[in-house]
Amino acid sequence: MAGETRASLAPDDLRGSHGPARHHLLTSLFGTPDLHRLAVYREHGGYRSLEKALKEMTPDQIHAEVKASGLRGRGGAGFPTGTKWSFIPKDVPGPRYVVVNFDEAEPGTCKDRYLVEHSPHLLLEGACIAQYAIGSHQAWIYIRGEYDRPYRMLVEAIEELRQAGILGPRPFGVDYPLDVQLYRGHGAYICGEETALLESLEGKRAQPRSRPPFPAVKGAWGRPTLLNNVETLANLPWIVDHGGAEYAGFGVERSRGTRLLSVSGNVQRPGVYEVELGVTFRHVIMELAGGPPPGRRVKAFWPGGSSAPVLPESMLDVSTDLDELARVGSMGGSGGVIVMDDSHCVVKAARRLIRFYAHESCGKCTPCRVGTNWAERTFERILRGEGTVADLQILDHVQDALQNGRCLCGLGDSAGWVIMSTMKHFREEYEAHALRNQCLAGECNVQRVGAHA
Amino acid sequence: MALSKHAIEEIKALPQRFPEIRSAVVPALDIAQEELGYLTPEAMSEVASLLQVDPGYVEGVATFYTLFHLEPVGEHHFYVCTNLSCMLRGAEEICEHIRRRIGVSREREISADGRFSYEEVECLGACEFAPMMRYAHAYHYELTPEKIDALIEAARSARPASARAGVIDRPESQEAEQGHGR
Ligand SMILES: Cc1cc2nc3c(=O)[nH]c(=O)nc-3n(C[C@H](O)[C@H](O)[C@H](O)COP(=O)(O)O)c2cc1C
Ligand code: FES
Repeated sequence: MAGETRASLAPDDLRGSHGPARHHLLTSLFGTPDLHRLAVYREHGGYRSLEKALKEMTPDQIHAEVKASGLRGRGGAGFPTGTKWSFIPKDVPGPRYVVVNFDEAEPGTCKDRYLVEHSPHLLLEGACIAQYAIGSHQAWIYIRGEYDRPYRMLVEAIEELRQAGILGPRPFGVDYPLDVQLYRGHGAYICGEETALLESLEGKRAQPRSRPPFPAVKGAWGRPTLLNNVETLANLPWIVDHGGAEYAGFGVERSRGTRLLSVSGNVQRPGVYEVELGVTFRHVIMELAGGPPPGRRVKAFWPGGSSAPVLPESMLDVSTDLDELARVGSMGGSGGVIVMDDSHCVVKAARRLIRFYAHESCGKCTPCRVGTNWAERTFERILRGEGTVADLQILDHVQDALQNGRCLCGLGDSAGWVIMSTMKHFREEYEAHALRNQCLAGECNVQRVGAHA
Repeated sequence: MALSKHAIEEIKALPQRFPEIRSAVVPALDIAQEELGYLTPEAMSEVASLLQVDPGYVEGVATFYTLFHLEPVGEHHFYVCTNLSCMLRGAEEICEHIRRRIGVSREREISADGRFSYEEVECLGACEFAPMMRYAHAYHYELTPEKIDALIEAARSARPASARAGVIDRPESQEAEQGHGR
């Protein structure tokens, strides 16, 4: 890497969409040498949208375009972005903030990192447009602490913007001060949950707040706050440039536009792919990501990060439409598509995810803290070969107890869904492990199927 | 161990960046850990008094976030992701190999020469390069036993304490460049 600037990427880091394509609204410039530099980004039309917004549009007009685009949040919940913006009170004096959720810790999700490593200015431009749109002069990017390179790249990009006067009192000569600050997280999944993130930003233990009040009204440091995911905000330059209607021309029904899917696990070409919403998971997994290794079959896939209920191979033709995913009992979530082939054990995979949720439970609410812990111990027993019918009943019971708003935030539900969905689609693997000490996938170190004890 | 003058200055400069002083607690602990390798009780109370917040509060924050070490770790500390996407591509074997090569029997145990340790962590957001780990402020991708061996060799021949020079914004280290170059 000698001679390269410290922030630049090795070509091999382009594991996913880049270059022009009809549906590459976010990624068409990815792969352009030195795109992370302000000068290069501007040569390709960067910050034209921000300039247009500041000079030719009112905040209300931007808001109207975002509504017209049909954009829904890309952080996990898929909440309509235009609607979220309308919750920000207009008449409250004093500071208000844009907070960017760059915590990206949902297992199987790496799209925001991909986006920022290729084009930090795309996020920064979006964050500036959002400031103007909601009457804010300060954005905070909450970036997970382990993201060293994206952090350095953002530090440099922000410095470039200050020098160019785009961050400062008069961007493009317009009397509307803009600023962006960075805040590094310190390794806690729960910080991605919006109210826990705000607690963390305020220097506290990251435990979710009960709502209301919602962050829009009382967010960071008690002020009105717009909180959006990295990818959500990165769509704004395109929407301002082309208009919301053109954005809504992509996608289907209530899932408009494109989104980044990070495909990982047992596929031949793992990577981050920008797809038009509505394509099937068969297209994403078998074509874009090259399918499982030769000789293997897809056994299961998590369509939207580990928190999205798992789907079996027979459901590969389900589409990426958020509403269709909800209809089949899962969700679009974070866009992290985790693929598992038939050489792997579902019970072992579920145990790993449950360990994650147990470890990351912030401990504030009892159903989550106790439930995830209880489930983890049950999984350990089953995988040690000490399982019984009672253990399967415990899992049935615990998954229910974690769900349906019994917990303060979505973490408990997610843990419940791991158990519920893996047991629903792969009950026979659980029974084989728990009742006969057999691993149907032949992965776990127990008595194998067909072997004699 | 006390904080250096430089670290103290940096910590004192933090509060002005934030609307409220408490937001400076985590960045201050970060500076302390970068310098000392882990957060000693004295370092935590020093941070508390520099920022004029309650020492119990600082400790409560430090114990919440997993990137803070409350006990020493090796000078070269590997954060190996073992979450699902990495597990499906061999993270367990990588951990086993690391244990064997540095001669420890579990995570966070420090090798006999005091220089190495490792830790199993949750998804690091680079699942497309699984299995992967974070080491010396950089990501290392598509790990194999050979890559691990090469990193350990390089670390052994490097001058001790090189991995922890400076503070968070220090210039890119050699290791960091190697991490992305592969
Ligand atoms: C446990 C938990 C973890 C979450 N982690 C993230 C995350 O890492 N990044 C993110 O953008 N949203 C995450 N979310 C969703 C956020 O709470 C929030 O809905 C989102 O950031 C809003 O942005 P959007 O409307 O642009 O999607 C998480 C939610 C929960 C319950
Ligand atoms: S699962 Fe290892 S980086 Fe995501």
